[in-house]
Amino acid sequence: MMEIVRMIVVLSLITGTAGFVLSGLKVWTSPIIESQVLTYVQGPAIKQVFSDMANDPIADRKKFPKPGGGPEDQVIVFPILKDGKLKAVALEGAGKGYGGDVNVIVGVDTSTDTVVGISITTHKETPGIGSRVSEPGFTKQFRGRTLAQAKLKKEGGAIDAISGATFSSIGASEAVKQVTSWYTALKDSIKTTWQ
Amino acid sequence: MGSVASEFTKGLWKEIPPFRLVLGLCPTLAVTTSAENGLGMGAAVIFVLALSNVLISLVRSIIPKKVRIACFIAIAASLVVAVEMLMQAFAYPLYQQLGIFVPLIVVNCIILGRAEAFAAKNPPHLALADGLGMGIGFTLSLTFLGSLREIFGAGTWFGHSLFGPNYHPFSFLVQAPGAFVCLGIILAGMNFLSIWQAKRKGLELDPNFDAGCKGCMACKKMDEIAAQKRLERLGAKA
Amino acid sequence: MDIFLLFISAIFVNNILLAQYLGNCPYLGCSKEKSVAIGMGAAVLFVIVLATVITFLIQKYIMNPFHLGYLQTIIFILVIAALVQFVEMFLKKMVPPLYKSLGIYLPLITTNCAVLGVAILVQRKEFDLWTSFLYAIAASVGFLLAIVLMAGIRERFVVTRIPRSMQGVPSGLVMAGIMSLAFLAFKGMIA
Repeated sequence: MMEIVRMIVVLSLITGTAGFVLSGLKVWTSPIIESQVLTYVQGPAIKQVFSDMANDPIADRKKFPKPGGGPEDQVIVFPILKDGKLKAVALEGAGKGYGGDVNVIVGVDTSTDTVVGISITTHKETPGIGSRVSEPGFTKQFRGRTLAQAKLKKEGGAIDAISGATFSSIGASEAVKQVTSWYTALKDSIKTTWQ
Repeated sequence: MGSVASEFTKGLWKEIPPFRLVLGLCPTLAVTTSAENGLGMGAAVIFVLALSNVLISLVRSIIPKKVRIACFIAIAASLVVAVEMLMQAFAYPLYQQLGIFVPLIVVNCIILGRAEAFAAKNPPHLALADGLGMGIGFTLSLTFLGSLREIFGAGTWFGHSLFGPNYHPFSFLVQAPGAFVCLGIILAGMNFLSIWQAKRKGLELDPNFDAGCKGCMACKKMDEIAAQKRLERLGAKA
Repeated sequence: MDIFLLFISAIFVNNILLAQYLGNCPYLGCSKEKSVAIGMGAAVLFVIVLATVITFLIQKYIMNPFHLGYLQTIIFILVIAALVQFVEMFLKKMVPPLYKSLGIYLPLITTNCAVLGVAILVQRKEFDLWTSFLYAIAASVGFLLAIVLMAGIRERFVVTRIPRSMQGVPSGLVMAGIMSLAFLAFKGMIA
């Protein structure tokens, strides 16, 4: 009996201490991890859309309440500044493709409300077929489109779906649509934040 | 038991893992596609191994014998989670490269093997020396194997091009089969060296010199089972 | 069709042992006897499938709602260790014949990285429960296949003359390399 008590006490002592130390470490590292992930996953995609940036959009990012989301849901907005003035923003949206979510960074010019460009961050589409959504042949169609045009032709937009990869194209287009709807809803608060 | 210095140095050559002490082959094979990955994996293992050795040695007297393996696993797993978080925070590209093998450090036999064979029986300062020595030895081996595969398999070392653009890399080496063959040949080389040394000194060959899984509890048990089965089969025939 | 592809891919193309390097310790150290290899493989299959399903449910219904994702490693390994212990006790009491054939291998399985590996892999690939279950079966069948093939070849090694320094693990590794090369050929089937 004594031994069982001792086993339980020792084991729970060890796991308790470990849990305590780890949660402390978690609190300390989670902001660093978040910015690391953004730098290495979203960062290159933003750079691809905006080739000449004067600021670091990752460091300048701000969180906004998600339009139509719960009280804790947030979207991250990456601002592109020039001479301290807001030129464009980048947001990441997700749409359901064939294999899973297609995540897309969309750059929107804030003065003209047009799409500057899009770049796929992560996707799970079939290599060689659905994965073509991340190639320039598809993504560059979005350049310079107005928000209303930035969807597939069969939905009344101006974008050609990739033949043979319809689901993946729809996924990417859904992601862009998500961003444009967020952008429309957040436009005013974005403009007052950075001016 | 030996001094701090001898416990430390034995991990560097005499019992260098995984070349002499065949422990933790999975990460050895998987992450050594480049020297940098090998070094990164080694660093993570040094951290976990040294700390787990010290912690286990500190609590060795209060751990009941029946649940000692569970305690070892709990301690090692917490350290691995810590490494995972630190790596994500300060070396994110490396974390992405090593992928699933970072959490798998916890089941690397080297951690539990050293805990059971050494840390549970020795005071903290010796356990620290053992952990550091073994960890550094493991790092050296991984970096060596990684360099070998990267230099000949990709023509680069730590990402720097070595042979110029005309070099046709022997890409077999950076693929899965290359890992097995490369490690196999290195182990054979280590064995050859042991035989040669023993012969030169005119000593009797240690019958257990084989670079085998003798450090791994599981394998020892496995060998016993295999021997028993063989006996049973022979018995049935007779 | 998708399920068929998943099986082909997990058993042959991305064989857990020969292409993903998981579970090498039992593969090399221990597959010297075919009957042992079959027993070990079957026990691993049993534990991998059970562990994957249970850790999947824990991840989905306990860890995700409470934001404990960062403790994945520690929770998974403790669950697997407890599960193995429990299965061993259960078999010993309830199904003695099965215990006799599989039970002896169970204590060796906790530290087999294939078990934790598959449990974490299905989380990283974000499979759903059904796909995870199928993937776990396919991956462990791949393990079973590789370990039994290996044991079959190694049984012949006993009567073969190989250089002293190549005996044991080194020759096993080189052979694994050749097998892995052969398995690479299956890549053409799904690419």
